[in-house]
Amino acid sequence: MTSRELLALAVVATPLLAALGTAAAPRRAVTAIATVGAVVSAEAALALASIALASPQRPLVEKWLVVDAAAGLLVGVIGIVGLASVLVSPAYLAVPSTTGLVRVERRPRTYYALVFVFWAILSAIPLVGNLGGAWLLVEASTAASALLVGFGGKPRALEAAWKYLILTSLGLGVALLGIVVLAAGSAHGGLDALSWRELAHIHSKHALIAYLLLLAGLASKVGWAPVHNWLPDAHSEAPAPVSALLSAALLPAVLLVAWRSSQALTPVIGASAAQSVLVGFGLFSLAVAVPFLWQPMAWKRLLAYSSLEHMGVIALGVGFGTPLALAGVVVHVVGHALAKALGFYAATPLTGHEPRAAGHAVRGIGRTQGPLGSALGISLGALAGLPPSPLFASEVLIVAGGFAAGRPWTAAAAAALLALGFLGLAHTLLDTVAGKAPARDRTAPGLRGVVLLTTVAVPCLLSLTAAALWLPGSAIARALVQGIR
Amino acid sequence: MSGVLVWLLVALGLGVVVVRRRSLAVALVTVQALVLAVSAAQDNAAPAAVLAVRAVALGTLLLLVVSRTREPRPVRAGIAPIARAGLAVGFALALTWLVPSIGLDSRNAERGVIALIAFGITAAATRRATLFQVLGIVLCENGLALAALKLPGGSSTAIELGVAFDLTLVALVAAVFHERIFAEFGAGDTAALRSLRD
Repeated sequence: MTSRELLALAVVATPLLAALGTAAAPRRAVTAIATVGAVVSAEAALALASIALASPQRPLVEKWLVVDAAAGLLVGVIGIVGLASVLVSPAYLAVPSTTGLVRVERRPRTYYALVFVFWAILSAIPLVGNLGGAWLLVEASTAASALLVGFGGKPRALEAAWKYLILTSLGLGVALLGIVVLAAGSAHGGLDALSWRELAHIHSKHALIAYLLLLAGLASKVGWAPVHNWLPDAHSEAPAPVSALLSAALLPAVLLVAWRSSQALTPVIGASAAQSVLVGFGLFSLAVAVPFLWQPMAWKRLLAYSSLEHMGVIALGVGFGTPLALAGVVVHVVGHALAKALGFYAATPLTGHEPRAAGHAVRGIGRTQGPLGSALGISLGALAGLPPSPLFASEVLIVAGGFAAGRPWTAAAAAALLALGFLGLAHTLLDTVAGKAPARDRTAPGLRGVVLLTTVAVPCLLSLTAAALWLPGSAIARALVQGIR
Repeated sequence: MSGVLVWLLVALGLGVVVVRRRSLAVALVTVQALVLAVSAAQDNAAPAAVLAVRAVALGTLLLLVVSRTREPRPVRAGIAPIARAGLAVGFALALTWLVPSIGLDSRNAERGVIALIAFGITAAATRRATLFQVLGIVLCENGLALAALKLPGGSSTAIELGVAFDLTLVALVAAVFHERIFAEFGAGDTAALRSLRD
């Protein structure tokens, strides 16, 4: 086994071991074991990400394993968000609850075990070298994450988890039909024919219909419109650290499967067809998300609709497929993950400070709880694309990449929609942070952790903006354009 | 696999869309999966064994769930059985017309696959009972198993094993939520799950 193979194994195995550790640990030691497990898992992920991104032109591509720049990027993001989610989880678990999927004394143990299993599956998705394997992992992620979405046990959480489970499972059934059709077109059948490299050699007149079925199915899991109905519900009702994992890690990980499928099948169905489907989903998702960004709504629900917008932007970037657009995608995936995760983490102290925030739009948090208002403002400002947010830079790159790809009308429409989305979120930003506030107690449980994460996130976001200037001509962007060959 | 067998599978699928009782619907999808397993055994024993084990395991799990969540009367679907059957058949015919050949061994099998997926989606969309929505997913997966068995090169045990594992996992999680929803609302009725809207 090479060092990269070993490290890839460690990236998946460490969270699984942490899951076992937390499930078997004595009650008092659960949080400590979870913290250690998260640190070790994140270290493994970041080590693999560094190696993959340091040598993007020399990817490791095997039948079952891929360690390339895209995998490195996603594994790194999942590691960072996973670590932060585990670190802020004690604040969520400290909130007294009379409901729940499990008994109160088993709550922390079950919660951490599920989070680590989910983390392990998420980490495996970008690394798997086979479309069939990727489908199995995506489906398995549904089972683990649905339990986490409904973990609170309240009626709304049960509703969100049920919708998520049924809609994404049906969608993935459609994706599986696409995979079966692809397998029918392969010379020797079986799982080997579905490796990313082998897909390019499928000789099938049915490849286009297979690709459409596959992407339509995966769209239900990425949360692309019009099959996004579960997304606002699941993201708003899940525990806040889980919402961060869903939005910042799960959605882009599944989107990577769609992207890899598109790249792998390009020689069979043609670049135009492969990319147009992604561009179509991207533009439609953006158009559906924008009106919701103008509505006053509960904080986590607003962040969920922002996820719909950002998955649309990333789909546009990978659909355009030029070095400029793909450099934008890299910045967008990382910037969105940092800003969105911070926003979700801030939801726990926010609902402690203003209980109405769980179901309604709130105003003037910066006036009654300055540090919390700062965290909310930085998160929402970054997500809106307010300069110097890296998402501003990435959106400029993606739109420019659209013009470079010879799709001026699509790029112009995307720019207009992004501007409208920005205005909607900017309005909410002003209202939430600096609007007229009722009298409130200053208490905000779990605020210290969020303030600490904010102080770490701000320099990271600014560095990412700086990186956006360098990325378009870099080896990483070239490697992403090339894909798996 | 003969055309008669394919149409038997389709008829069992339509039964799931129409019947009132959950236990009967569970029996129908289980028999359907067992028919698939028996027909697969003629070509390749390993995928057939996986299908059979999955059919029995899922059937047992779902019947256990039914017995643990006894309802005084079946949850009404909101749409009459004859209308559900009409919708399901109409949807299946529309899909068969829209979707071109997908490269399976026979056109009959392709039509059967599309019909089962259409019936699964219709069951999930038109039935209010939570368990029927899970059965809709199982129906789709049975359709996909039929497709996998009718691949020109034959089915792969690894694919059948993976899909069976994932489906069982999803069904287990759905069973957990079904019981929780039953405990919370007194019925496994998705009509109670309509508070999240914008």
